[in-house]
Amino acid sequence: MQEHTQLTQKQINDELLKDILHLPKWWLPAVLFLLTIVLAGYSAFGYMIYHGLGVTGLNRPVFWGFFIANFVFWIGISHAGIMISAILRLTQAEWRRPITRAAEVMTVFSLAAALHTPMMHVGRPWRVLYWIFPYDFSRDIWPNVRSPFVWDPSAVGTYLIASTLFVMICLLPDLAILRDRAKNPLVKKIYAQFALGFRGTPRQWKLQIIAGILLSALVLPVFVSVHSIVSWDFAVLIGVEGWRSTIFAPYFIIGAIHSGVSAVAMLMALTVWIYGLQNYIKPDHFDAIARLLIIVATTWFFFFFLEWVWALYTLETPEVALRELQAEQWPYGPLFGIFIITSFVIPVPIWLFKRFRRNAVIMFWTCVLVNIGMWLERFLIVIPGLLRRSHMTFDWGSYHPSIIEIAIVVETFAFVALGMLLFAKVFPLVPLFDVKEGMINRHLIKIGRRVIPATIREGLPHHYYKNHSDPIIERSKEE
Amino acid sequence: MATDIIDEQYLGQPFVETENSVKNRKAVSDNILALHMRTSDRFWQIATVTGILFAIGIVGYFYRIFTFENPGSAGYYVALFSFMMTTSAGAPMVAIAPRIANAHWRRPISRIAEIWTLIGCINLILFIPLLWVLPNLDNGRRSLWFYWEKQDNLWIPEVVKYSPHIWSTMAVLGLIVLGIALLWISCLPDFAVIRDQGPDGWRKKWASKLSLGWRGTTSQWNWQHHRMGALGALYFMMLVLVHFFISVEYLMVHVPGWIDSLYPITHAHNALHGGVATVMLTMFIVNRFGPFKGYITLDQFHGLGKLLLALSLLWFWFWFSSFMVFWYGKKPSEQALVELLVKGPYLYMFLVEFLLVFIIPWWTMIWNPFRRSIWGPSIIAISVLVGTFLDRIRLNVASWDVAGITARKFNENNGEFTSDFPREMMLNMRLPENPTVIKEFVGLDIPINAVGPGAIDVLVILGFISGAIFLYMMATRLIPLVNIWEQKELLLYNAEIKFHRTKVRVMGKPR
Repeated sequence: MQEHTQLTQKQINDELLKDILHLPKWWLPAVLFLLTIVLAGYSAFGYMIYHGLGVTGLNRPVFWGFFIANFVFWIGISHAGIMISAILRLTQAEWRRPITRAAEVMTVFSLAAALHTPMMHVGRPWRVLYWIFPYDFSRDIWPNVRSPFVWDPSAVGTYLIASTLFVMICLLPDLAILRDRAKNPLVKKIYAQFALGFRGTPRQWKLQIIAGILLSALVLPVFVSVHSIVSWDFAVLIGVEGWRSTIFAPYFIIGAIHSGVSAVAMLMALTVWIYGLQNYIKPDHFDAIARLLIIVATTWFFFFFLEWVWALYTLETPEVALRELQAEQWPYGPLFGIFIITSFVIPVPIWLFKRFRRNAVIMFWTCVLVNIGMWLERFLIVIPGLLRRSHMTFDWGSYHPSIIEIAIVVETFAFVALGMLLFAKVFPLVPLFDVKEGMINRHLIKIGRRVIPATIREGLPHHYYKNHSDPIIERSKEE
Repeated sequence: MATDIIDEQYLGQPFVETENSVKNRKAVSDNILALHMRTSDRFWQIATVTGILFAIGIVGYFYRIFTFENPGSAGYYVALFSFMMTTSAGAPMVAIAPRIANAHWRRPISRIAEIWTLIGCINLILFIPLLWVLPNLDNGRRSLWFYWEKQDNLWIPEVVKYSPHIWSTMAVLGLIVLGIALLWISCLPDFAVIRDQGPDGWRKKWASKLSLGWRGTTSQWNWQHHRMGALGALYFMMLVLVHFFISVEYLMVHVPGWIDSLYPITHAHNALHGGVATVMLTMFIVNRFGPFKGYITLDQFHGLGKLLLALSLLWFWFWFSSFMVFWYGKKPSEQALVELLVKGPYLYMFLVEFLLVFIIPWWTMIWNPFRRSIWGPSIIAISVLVGTFLDRIRLNVASWDVAGITARKFNENNGEFTSDFPREMMLNMRLPENPTVIKEFVGLDIPINAVGPGAIDVLVILGFISGAIFLYMMATRLIPLVNIWEQKELLLYNAEIKFHRTKVRVMGKPR
């Protein structure tokens, strides 16, 4: 990272907490607008419960529709938090610092959005309890743990708990600052409760750092397992040939990272525009995330290519028929074209140019395109997969989403946006302590006639170097 | 101009001088050059032993290629080729990937990794006979080259029947050429140092020719950096492509019903895994027995050890992603595959491999003291390499055994099929539910059992692995094992500063 604005700790506190300790004018109308959409979605849900699942477009053989496509999409978005926060933290990528919190929080809200879609999909959400308790106490009948539909809530639930813990641990130092700066006694008391007595003693810092690193490492297997399990909902089915592919788990994960990291890039642009944090999120940050996106998108496209090659390689009639349905027949053919163009063909060539990578507006809109494409990808996996004609099916319908389903899907987007806005009103969206640490670690070095930024090298503790110092430097010093 | 803006924003701010003095740069050059010129007696002893083994291996190689009775007898030979491609061809990625990511810890080991590209020459020698062993598309096997025409309920290929041979050769050749080009370009500044500062002798003469007039001008440095970036990226893509071909055309297509879309990715991952283990082991040998102990320090073992751990975990995930779909789906033809490759004749080999490649690395490398040591990751590297070799044997020997059965049926009838079964079986992609019954269908008394290597196979395996070591050792006589220019570049970005009551290093990361 070459661009940098050195700020004092007080400046950082003032700038990053100004929207928390004061109410911006735009905040209330925005919240009311999103709340209205969320309530409309819940009303649609109430209507669906009252009238039954018949008000949706689901029918034989398409029993999974918008809800499940949307579920997979939000699970995908949720992977961004861990990708950005845990992986970049473990690999010590400096540019991660201002964007980790937003990514982690987006994970939590998108997981919540993902979780409530299948609950709505089952039509009678109270039956979720059956996944936990025996549904016939007298006969001690338990849910079938061999079913992928039991693995799903377990994995997503674990991921949600781990992500929330992760957010909470990383929030502690910032909560302590809020506690100390809040004027209202009640607010002060609430922040004090959340801050868990954090005072910034060396021991507390050490524990907080160790907990962060441990959680980063521990949450990674959960991160991998969640989308693997979601993919196995599809892949282990024998009945739908198009879904039966060993590549599904990695393909779903790389797709999730593609859409999730794009969503983080969108969030970065929005944070700069809405909260005016250009001192923290600079063109260099967009450049770094765009370079990451080029690698992720290309890998994703390679996996997509492999999935198609293998589908055609089998030469099995249902496989070929499904691919024809996905790519050639109305309305899936045009949607397929849009999906490829928006998720890869347009964004990746644009990101190859540095000028565009450093432009927040271009990054925002290309990432919007990616997410449109990735939503369509999930749609094109779910619906044509079920729609293909197979023997023993006695009834065929097509699938058209009803207004109820559309309202509920739109509600999930509003839900996540509302959640982020509410969070940003109560907690800082850019981690203060992380940014401050970055400022402290930062130095300047002179190379020839140039002065460039340098960072304190994290890694092995210093005592490891006592016996392993650079022999050349030591020798020249002796001379 | 962005650079002007950057310079301006730091104007007047305090900065630290790096260790990039002329004296330090000269110290680096002189030291590495002096160490490079030394050759111990032990070096020549090992070179002699490996050279003799290589010569014996070449004799075995000729004996083997003239006695390929059917593809079934090629199992161990293909396993060796696959193992060499998995390890030596993957090793340069240890130089390429951290260089792209600007990780400074890679500097002393990037050359160690790059020299492995030269082993591509041995891989090519191993590959050439396989062109004759690989059945063409006439035996009904599937290929990545699609079939377009359907006759009598069978899909008939319209592509040239030797398509897989042509494209595989181009990919393997491409990888070798790219690898050697990458090594050469990386060596240019070091050859120039040997030319200008080295003592008179054959090295100076060769370095002078190979340095291609390198003078270290700005345009030459820019040219070198850009070429290395581009070649590195191309090498990675070609590595994936080669493993795509090898894994499919030389393994998967021989076993009817083996449809595993993840398999090429698994193979590419194994190449990275095996490559990291190869470099780790080379580092260990250089650290313990070579002259560059001062350069290959704990930092390099720690950096690469983390990568080795991550790749071992990924190995499990890739394996499980495939196994899960086959095992849980309970599709008969896939159950037969699991029976052939995992649970059947190669069960014990699989279990040992599983232990060596995943369980042992996982349970040892998660412990910080073990990972932050020189011995720990090195032992795990050996474990991974042995496990990877067992994996290659398990997969290759099993697939080529099936290929041998179907091909013999084809050959015995002068190009005609007496029974349609092998061809039909291949085309319909169905392995019988129990793979041991293949022999009943083809009427041959060849059971699908674990096949042990013959004496010739052992000679070829030992000979060519020794040959790789021999060639590597010979290359280090001309090419410095530690990259001089990258070590000098490190001085540019490296400074030690006082931080509260301790001293820390700051590293500059250029744009």
